[in-house]
Amino acid sequence: MSLWVDQFRPRTLDTLHYHRGLSERLKSLASSGDFPHMLFYGPSGAGKKTRVSCTLRQLFGPGVEKLKIDQRVFLTPSKRKIEVNLVQSNYHIEITPSEAGNHDRLVIQDLLKEIAQTQQVDLGAKQRFKVVIINEADSLSRDAQAALRRTMEKYMSNMRIILCANSTSRLIAPIKSRCLLMRVAAPSSEEMNNVLAYVARRAGFDLPPEASDKIVEDSGGNMRKAILVLEALKMQSPDLTGPLTIAKPDWEVYCHKVADLIISEQSPARVMEVRAKLYELLSHCIPPTIILKTIAERVVDKVDEALKADIMHWAAFYEVRMRVGSKKIFHLEAWVVKVMSLYKHFFYNIDMSEFD
Amino acid sequence: MFAATGLLGPAPLPEENLPSDASGLFKSNGLLDAGSSCNDQVPGTAMPHEPLPNFQLNGLLGVQAPTESFQSTTSLQSNHILGELTHNTTPPDFSFTSTGLLGEPSTVENSLSNTSFKTSDSIPCDSQPGVTHKSSIHTTSDYTTAGMSFTRNMLLRSPSPTSREDNLPPISEAFDMQYTNTTSSSKCLPSRPASSFVRATRYDGQTLLLRRKVKNFMPENQGSSTAYSASKIGNLLDIPVHRMLDSLYFLFSLPSYSDSANSQCAQRSQATDSSLWVDRYRPYNFTDLVGNEKVARDAMAWLKSWDRCVFGKSKGRKRAREDQENFELDEYHRPNEKFMLLSGPPGFGKTTLAHVIARHAGYEVMEINASDARSGHVVDERIRPTLESGFAIGSTKPVLLVIDEIDGATGAGDSSNTFIHKLLQLVLAKPKRNPRGKEKQIKSVIMRPIICICNDYNASSLAKLRPNAYQIRFNRPADVHIAKRLKEICHVEGLKADSRALATLVNASKGDFRGCLNTLQLIKTRNEDVTEPVIRRATAGMKQADTNVLSVLNSIFTPVSKKRAKNFVLDEEDETRYVARISREIDGSGRESTVATGCFGHYAKLRRHDATLARHEKANEWLSTYDRFSSAMYTDGDFALQPYLSYTLVPFHPLFKERGGEKVERNQTEWEHLQVTKTNEEIYKSLSGCLRTATSRSCGDFRHLVSSPILQVEFAPYINRIISPPLRPVNSQIIRPQEKTLMNRLVDIMAALDLRFVQERTEDGQLSYRLDPPLDVFVTYDGKRAPDISVSRYAVRHLVAGESKIDAKISARDTDIVEKGKQGKHHFFGNGSRQKGANEGPVGGVRPEGQDIADLPPTDFFGRLITVPTVASLKASNKIIEKPYRVSYKFLEGNSAAVRKPIKVGAFM
Repeated sequence: MSLWVDQFRPRTLDTLHYHRGLSERLKSLASSGDFPHMLFYGPSGAGKKTRVSCTLRQLFGPGVEKLKIDQRVFLTPSKRKIEVNLVQSNYHIEITPSEAGNHDRLVIQDLLKEIAQTQQVDLGAKQRFKVVIINEADSLSRDAQAALRRTMEKYMSNMRIILCANSTSRLIAPIKSRCLLMRVAAPSSEEMNNVLAYVARRAGFDLPPEASDKIVEDSGGNMRKAILVLEALKMQSPDLTGPLTIAKPDWEVYCHKVADLIISEQSPARVMEVRAKLYELLSHCIPPTIILKTIAERVVDKVDEALKADIMHWAAFYEVRMRVGSKKIFHLEAWVVKVMSLYKHFFYNIDMSEFD
Repeated sequence: MFAATGLLGPAPLPEENLPSDASGLFKSNGLLDAGSSCNDQVPGTAMPHEPLPNFQLNGLLGVQAPTESFQSTTSLQSNHILGELTHNTTPPDFSFTSTGLLGEPSTVENSLSNTSFKTSDSIPCDSQPGVTHKSSIHTTSDYTTAGMSFTRNMLLRSPSPTSREDNLPPISEAFDMQYTNTTSSSKCLPSRPASSFVRATRYDGQTLLLRRKVKNFMPENQGSSTAYSASKIGNLLDIPVHRMLDSLYFLFSLPSYSDSANSQCAQRSQATDSSLWVDRYRPYNFTDLVGNEKVARDAMAWLKSWDRCVFGKSKGRKRAREDQENFELDEYHRPNEKFMLLSGPPGFGKTTLAHVIARHAGYEVMEINASDARSGHVVDERIRPTLESGFAIGSTKPVLLVIDEIDGATGAGDSSNTFIHKLLQLVLAKPKRNPRGKEKQIKSVIMRPIICICNDYNASSLAKLRPNAYQIRFNRPADVHIAKRLKEICHVEGLKADSRALATLVNASKGDFRGCLNTLQLIKTRNEDVTEPVIRRATAGMKQADTNVLSVLNSIFTPVSKKRAKNFVLDEEDETRYVARISREIDGSGRESTVATGCFGHYAKLRRHDATLARHEKANEWLSTYDRFSSAMYTDGDFALQPYLSYTLVPFHPLFKERGGEKVERNQTEWEHLQVTKTNEEIYKSLSGCLRTATSRSCGDFRHLVSSPILQVEFAPYINRIISPPLRPVNSQIIRPQEKTLMNRLVDIMAALDLRFVQERTEDGQLSYRLDPPLDVFVTYDGKRAPDISVSRYAVRHLVAGESKIDAKISARDTDIVEKGKQGKHHFFGNGSRQKGANEGPVGGVRPEGQDIADLPPTDFFGRLITVPTVASLKASNKIIEKPYRVSYKFLEGNSAAVRKPIKVGAFM
């Protein structure tokens, strides 16, 4: 038994609910016999992976859904063992190289070459090539991307690569130029409402439009999140009537608390308080970028118009530093102090330096 | 006995009586308290002929001097010649001398009683080779080695036994009496104790002192007669007395010819330049050792306990002493502890002690230290052959293995290839295991002592060695001892030193004798006097060497106080120039990242008013600069950035220094955060493991939820809500249909994801169900659960657990079928790890599977009914109890390959 997210996931291009044009194009590409390398990009929860698996199904038929999960161990030059999970069928293989961290280059080199150099054995296969799906392509290291470039050209006859990424900005240009770029935009609220209604119908209940609207509003274009929320909601309050509160993820609530703390007082003591909370968030393995983003958005919501630009500017500034650096908490706190200082200056509108 | 006198009267020698040419030597001799202990007995032998040795010496030199240049190398040669000549008595010229020398002892006895005055005269000539090392005013280090090789030379030739018998005892008495437990076949001479005793009373001026020492020493010797011990010691000596005398004459001759050739001062300065004081004043005799007397004695006693094994002198009677030092010997007469482990901080004289006692006990040292490779194969290639043969190449003395700096050797971990492991194997190997001939077996036993030296007693690599080692730990010797010895050395070197300065030096070096000596030599080369400021300046580096992170942090956050300024010899100007000082300190600590974390932890705690948070902004700017530097350094391997790292932390000093501010304490936050993060990462890992299993079971359904940000940000919070519906704790039989579907759905999801409720007993004895893996931490912030998730009560969880178990079993069976092809033989017994988890079931695995758990009341370990103590579940459990229950038996868990299957009792009837 699966969650609704998976249970009612469309399996074929025809059953996809939105972005019809995209589906059509994919379909014609799949049947053309000249399938290119592809790069799917778009925000999280827009349906990239769903589209990819639908395309695969279009390419190879239902055999592609017979999946097995493997673990491959790679040996780094320093004799460290790295485990990478593979999802594969007879026709394709799905990897997430970022699991290997800094050693993703090895995974790309070893695995791709291996696949590329073996021809399709199944004579009954619809296509002569295998497909390699690389998830989280935007977190590939530069080395790994460089390793990918040549392989993509050289082994074109045996292999196609489908990359999945949130944005193309971190991919090097040569890769982008070798792929057909497919942008999968987040669904509109109307489309989301449709999907939710479909899920509810399949699950055997009626979803009141108010509830649906609320969920859509809350999920911010993330279909996966919306369906998860729907399921959680259904479990929590099975009748779906009366005033509904859409549960926000706990870390988000906590981030908002932090934002409120920052706005309500600006002092060294408060800095310490905020720091404790940031530690708590970080220890729950919430990515620091997301923490910063969530807090910043909340702070921006609450402060005066004149401050918004500055706060966002510094958030961006420290986010870059955070990506470069290794001690995330330093940069988070630096931003917090910066915001506090900005806020204070703005609030009192005078130069306080004389009071020191 | 004589050692005692030596100790008591370091320089009881009237200078007036000295021959003029020897005065320099004598002076230096007198300075050495311990070393001079040999003086006392030699007088006994040499005294009557005092003029004669001198004369002979001169004569000898007269013969030799023309041929030799004044260089030390040639004098070494002459030394050899001298030794040989005196021994073989081949050339007629020298036969006179040698006979004269050998003849002495006989006359010694006679003249002993009446000559009281001349003893002192003879003292200059009885300085041993070792002593001359100490008093190296006139000898360069070259001479020292010359002396050494000379003595070795002598050993090779066995001296004529008769003369040796006579000569030996008094000399041996110079050494500490307690190391005389070797047995010898020589008869004891009745006159010996008498003479020694006589001598004790003979000096009028020194009688008192002698008596006292005798008293002290007596109890130790009570077991055996003093006479016996005295004669025994004779055989202990490496060098017969006449050899010593020979060498003495030789050494004696040096000042005389140096006088004639050059001024003594020139010679001395030459010597000063050529060798380190550490080497020059290294103790060569046991009695020279300073401080840590107990340690030295213990070490020597251990080494001596090997004598029976190594030298095989088992014929002698056991000494009473040996009973006191209870070293139990094994079948090969080895002590039970085959190793001795000396541990202590650097500069305390561990290596020196090892070498001194080895020499003293008559071993040839084979040393392995950090400069050699010390992996496991060294044991096979170098150590084993040497130890098995028992002798170093080209030596007749038994070998003693000294493994210096053993804490750096490989040894940690369980690998059988490490140095320590191999060493232990080698030494502790039971020969009985060898299925070969008997002689072979005995041969493979290692019969030589091994001394291991380390700084860090707790080094992980020594873990296995420690139980097999006789452990001696060096403590810091009393500062007074060191200071005293330093003072003597300063005096010898002609360095003016006041005691307070020396005490400061010893204090600053924390007992590191080597450091002290090096510092003094440095001061000497600068031609300065030893005064406190000079010492402070010279030891500045010493102090900084061991800065820990806390002290660095404290100096960042506190301004320099007056007192410390004085300590560091800083003035106002230095105070303002803090950059270099602080960055050096940070560098010195070598742990920039810890310092940075410490700064980060501390700066926000400070109270100084900061209205605009400007200082905090700056501080954070620097911290993030630091982080960028360091991560650029580590990720790109660009270690050229290293020197700049410390400068990024310096600004905390001007920004946040405050007098009387809160003291920096060790900050645990970062560490705790790390621990919690690790735990949570583990949970995520097991959750993603569950998801993967579910994926393979349900044809790739959950796989898109595993990837990294989605799992934490979306899946974790919502799955918690999905699996905690507001169920009422009622029996599954009377549940409403709506709730029934809800519950079925819940159980389905949990089973699919391998989530389980595991029963546990809390400390107060209450039963509770724990979610496994504990996903609920992800909705728990600051120890509080999210308010919108209803707390699932025990009864609900119990209900779910019951259902869930069945489902887990079903899913396990499903996967069994799927995986049967792959692991044909496995599935029958173990079912693989994943299914095992499922089979165990939530309720501690006590009940058989396949029964409807919902029908069963909670039972304790013995299958008896228990009432659930939680109030909330009271109602529910009551209802459960009303049901008739079946007796169930469970096969004992164990390692049997039998097929396990729950069977109703009825089946047996």
